[in-house]
Amino acid sequence: MSSDTEVAIRATHLAKAYKLYDTPGDWMKQQLLGSEERPYYKSFWALKDISFEVRRGTSIGIVGRNGCGKSTLLQIVCGMTRPTKGEIWVKGRVAPVLALGATFDYEGTGRENVLIGGAILGLKRREILDKFDSIAEFAGVGDFMERPLKQYSMGMRMRLAFAICAHIEADILIVDEALAVGDMAFQKRCVAWINNFRRTGTLLFVSHSTSELSQLCEQAIWIDDGRVREAGDVTDVARAYHRSTLFERDDMKRFAVA
Amino acid sequence: MTNVNDRQQLPDAPVMHILDGKTVEARDYNWLERAIRFLFRPFAEAWHHRDLIAAILRRELRERFSGSMAGWVWAVVAPLISLVTYTIVFGGSAKLPNKADSSSSLDYALFVFGGLVAFNFFTEMAYRAPSLLHEYSHYIKQTMFPAEMLPIISTLRATTYATIGLALMLLCQLLFVGWLHWTVLLLPLWFIPFLGFLIGITWLLSAMGAFTRDTAYLMGTIAPVLMFATPVFYSHETLSPNMKLLMYANVLTGFIEIIRDLVVFGKVSDGLVIAWTMFISMFFFWFGYWFFRRQQNAIADVI
Repeated sequence: MSSDTEVAIRATHLAKAYKLYDTPGDWMKQQLLGSEERPYYKSFWALKDISFEVRRGTSIGIVGRNGCGKSTLLQIVCGMTRPTKGEIWVKGRVAPVLALGATFDYEGTGRENVLIGGAILGLKRREILDKFDSIAEFAGVGDFMERPLKQYSMGMRMRLAFAICAHIEADILIVDEALAVGDMAFQKRCVAWINNFRRTGTLLFVSHSTSELSQLCEQAIWIDDGRVREAGDVTDVARAYHRSTLFERDDMKRFAVA
Repeated sequence: MTNVNDRQQLPDAPVMHILDGKTVEARDYNWLERAIRFLFRPFAEAWHHRDLIAAILRRELRERFSGSMAGWVWAVVAPLISLVTYTIVFGGSAKLPNKADSSSSLDYALFVFGGLVAFNFFTEMAYRAPSLLHEYSHYIKQTMFPAEMLPIISTLRATTYATIGLALMLLCQLLFVGWLHWTVLLLPLWFIPFLGFLIGITWLLSAMGAFTRDTAYLMGTIAPVLMFATPVFYSHETLSPNMKLLMYANVLTGFIEIIRDLVVFGKVSDGLVIAWTMFISMFFFWFGYWFFRRQQNAIADVI
């Protein structure tokens, strides 16, 4: 195992169970008389056993079908939700690109959303104001910066989110199927920026596009049903994943609650 | 564009380390250190997130008035109208406890208004708290948003209205009575513990509200009843000694008594009342914080 200074993310036997309560009354019962042995909830294990290590400065792609646990894993890395079992170790400031777009306030202007988005990601007001012009230029939404976000197109919102994330000087960047929304010109700009970022930063990249993956990542992890199915060189993993999507049925039973 | 290569980073970069659902601390703390860290933590965190608190507070205040033409005028007109109403309705018919002769109707209006400023502040928080985390669910689910700051933000927002009410009350006293008691200078000492109490209540109610909508219905049911169980329109001084003692079980009684003593009667309340009220304030503040933190991990998953 490499030394801690070199590792950006280390996950060891990560597992995450969501507690599902059938009624709010069950929650109250669990608080008052429940125990782990005889719970009033059902557990849904979104992640079952995930182990991997990402060294600082590497780019890693994450593939897997809907509901395989990708998003849960990313949320754990960001610190939004806690794993139930196992160990997670993350060093550095994390910037989730797509997630930031979800916090946008559609009534507020682009400028206000930059200020709030930056604050959520941990920037001081002073820092955001200093970088504001640069963010506006990167987003390239022009005069719309002073207009409410409800007048933005989907792509424009994505541009704004990416522009903010590109300016928070993150150590770990998480890009979750975000580039697909932008037009070709913006995608190119993002890819150029990400490639520059990769020289020192760590990238977690989620995509269903094999070409995007091999363009931006060196390694990849394939998650299937909450477990690592394959990990290693991006071309091998992406090829294996792509092949499986051709042959394996879309099994709807995988969302069953244990 | 930021040049990534210019950065010197990582030696002091933040580390997140979680083992079996528990945060791993850099070192072990003994119980005394843990207690002290717990007591200081709400303040340390609020200070750490001060820019975020300010940014969201600014947006919330703008939101409140952006759709209306008169904006801030409403915030002043509403309490003013209630003050005038109480003066007219209760004028002459009511007696103040400390003044044997029937005092001026304005005195009584100020007396009621003092109670209302505190009580309305409380109900605004109590009504909103259960749905507070649902309102911000997209923040809590999608980003590393510190949800424990939301009760602080919404209490600060409500503070602006309470401050307007309080300022109006002092202004009326100054205009119609002609002078203020020196004790109004002590108002900040009342305000800060009251804020602490309300933030604590909001921590408690919002965490419960995240799991069950019943919290909202419960507050909607008991808040109007509470208005009559709280000495807003009357004085608990006029009750029998046993009933009077019972009134202090209502956590709001002490706060209302103190603000009236300071503004309307110009005296400092009984030491025992102050001590009891301070205890309530601190108890709810830290208990609410403890409860919220305990539920926090589950909140992100259910909201």
